[in-house]
Amino acid sequence: MTSMPLARRRRGRQVWRDTAVGWSFLLPNFAGFALLTLVPVALLFYYAFTSWNVFGGAEWTGLDNVRQMLHDASFRTALRNTLYYTVFHIPLTLVAALALALLLNRRLRGVAFFRTVAFFPYITSIVALAQVWNMLFSPGYGPINAALRGLGVDHPPGWTTSADWSMPAVIVVGTWREMGYYMLLFLAGLQTIPGQLYEAAKVDGANAWQRLRAVTIPGLRPTTFFVVVMLTIGSFKVFDLILVMTNGGPGQSTLVLSQYIYQKGFVENQFGYASTVSIALFLICFGVTAAQFLINRRGSDS
Amino acid sequence: MKRSLTAVLGATAAISLVLTGCSGADDEGSAGGPQTLTLAGWSFATTPEFKTLADGFHAAHPDVTVELKEYDAANYDTQMVADLAAGKAPDIYAQKTLKNFYTYQNGKQLVDVSDVASGLAKTVGGIDSYQADGKTWAVPYRQDSWVLFYNKTLFDKAGVKLPDGSWTWDDYAATAKELTAKLNGPKGDYEHIWQSTVQGFALAQTPGAAIESGDFGYLKPYYSRVLDLQNAGAQVKFGDATTNNLTYQSQFGKQSAAMMLMGSWYIATLRKQQGSGEADKFDWGFAPAPQLDKSTTGTSATPVTFGDPTGLGINPKINKGKLASAKAFLAYAAGVDGAKALAGIGITPADTEAVRDTFFKLDGVPQDDLSKFAFTKHETKPENPVSKHTAALQNVLSDTHTAIMSGSKDVGAAITEAQNRAKNEVLNK
Repeated sequence: MTSMPLARRRRGRQVWRDTAVGWSFLLPNFAGFALLTLVPVALLFYYAFTSWNVFGGAEWTGLDNVRQMLHDASFRTALRNTLYYTVFHIPLTLVAALALALLLNRRLRGVAFFRTVAFFPYITSIVALAQVWNMLFSPGYGPINAALRGLGVDHPPGWTTSADWSMPAVIVVGTWREMGYYMLLFLAGLQTIPGQLYEAAKVDGANAWQRLRAVTIPGLRPTTFFVVVMLTIGSFKVFDLILVMTNGGPGQSTLVLSQYIYQKGFVENQFGYASTVSIALFLICFGVTAAQFLINRRGSDS
Repeated sequence: MKRSLTAVLGATAAISLVLTGCSGADDEGSAGGPQTLTLAGWSFATTPEFKTLADGFHAAHPDVTVELKEYDAANYDTQMVADLAAGKAPDIYAQKTLKNFYTYQNGKQLVDVSDVASGLAKTVGGIDSYQADGKTWAVPYRQDSWVLFYNKTLFDKAGVKLPDGSWTWDDYAATAKELTAKLNGPKGDYEHIWQSTVQGFALAQTPGAAIESGDFGYLKPYYSRVLDLQNAGAQVKFGDATTNNLTYQSQFGKQSAAMMLMGSWYIATLRKQQGSGEADKFDWGFAPAPQLDKSTTGTSATPVTFGDPTGLGINPKINKGKLASAKAFLAYAAGVDGAKALAGIGITPADTEAVRDTFFKLDGVPQDDLSKFAFTKHETKPENPVSKHTAALQNVLSDTHTAIMSGSKDVGAAITEAQNRAKNEVLNK
């Protein structure tokens, strides 16, 4: 009679101790996250409905900011440009990263060297990269246009100095910069595909293309899903690349949402309105990612 | 357990007592005894003015030490706004640009210094910009004005007549083309990529022009002329300047261009760079900026140009006992003594009349009469007239500048778009 509650108590104490140990491991990370991310994000949802210029209190203005945003042509331009970037950047990076991974997954002399080369842009300072690419793209003296002229193009594009070509230029650099990182993820994913599947496919007489479609791509499904989600969020949030390469110009041709938020908040001191736009960006990212999870789950069920 | 809690509470109380004791002592130490003021500035390595003013003031008021606090030049206002909001900003802080003066003044982050302003000489330029609600909230200690720098050596080589202060913009454009044709290499002029190189002059010189009006038609002739110079090859194309990160210091200092419109801060830079070898050694001078029409040209008239003053304001969180010293510092910095100290290191103070002799005594500063005229005589209008909407409107106009200069939009269409954006997004939002 007396031993039962004692055992239960002991087990209870054990559970409590495990929980405490678990929490103590989580705590340093969580405290930093709560202090530097969670609390500011929660506050953001309040500031979005106020007019606030940093000094003094924020004044509650209800839905005024939302109304302003819906009638704001610059917001629509920024949204359109962000979508433009996203729609091209995701598939291009995905295909380039996968192709690189397949290429560098073979037994090849100096494969480590080539993998490093492909990864290099990702770890190089974005400011230095932007400067070099800007010079390459220079309409008058840049080597890219010199090559195009050599190939017989009479009027090569103005790249970052032309409203029509600035976004393609930024997309090219964005893709080039990030493909190395996603290549690494794909390389890791390729290691998880069992070799027997390829052997079986070969025995059945599948050619290289059929093996890619029937074995590699289905086998990479979890990796691909992860890469697409990360790429989507990264594309919607693109900021540093644009800021240092074109600063949103010429005109508003490369203005993207995160840069618009920065401009409204830190340049014009309209922190309330900047918060509203941030929430719009958050909802877009959240919505698209949620949709991707749903599609992925439905796909894996069938 | 209980006892340790009491101990912690006791320790906390003791610490807070010590802390309040400290600040209490600080409050009292104001009457008479030695004092320390803190002053915010940026990039002290390349901006010696803050140290010059701090040292000069300390020499005149041995009881007061001015301690400098350095901020990042590019993010000065962002950091200052954050520090002010957190209550950690220095006692005195510089108004780096006029663009953000409204934010500080409207945000109640400046002490009324009308008494300091009323004691300053009439020749101190730029005070008006710091006035709001009938009071003065900061005083200017430097006032740069835009002038036309020219390379005498290249002019002589081309056999083109030097500027004489009588130029309108058409004379300037014609000379730029003539120089380009005759020099066979260096361009006639260099136009830096900033929006102010076009918009600043258009706003200052066109009668009735106002950013606040949301009517930007006044920009049109100025842009047409610049585009014409660009297309004629008399100046480097905007796109080449942005993609290659050209600096104006090397374009003019390395003699790639014979003329350049730039703020008077470049006098000190060029003088220094010619001394250190960063710039070529050549003969140069500066003339008043070209004018809209003949009514303001010639050395008997007052040329119209633009430039924002740089001012000093006082943080309202300053200890009451230090306020008098802080005001004395402002009076010194904006007054004749401060102006002379600044001119001694090649900086253009707000009161240029008072320092003409000091300034032109420096080695490497041109000695001709036209340079002296350009330095002292000018009507300098603000680039960023103070208002609630200035920062947002300037952002709109910055997009207009890149769209026009890159050739992405024609002048008329870009101005119409800017006017629509100004109306919908800023003025009537």
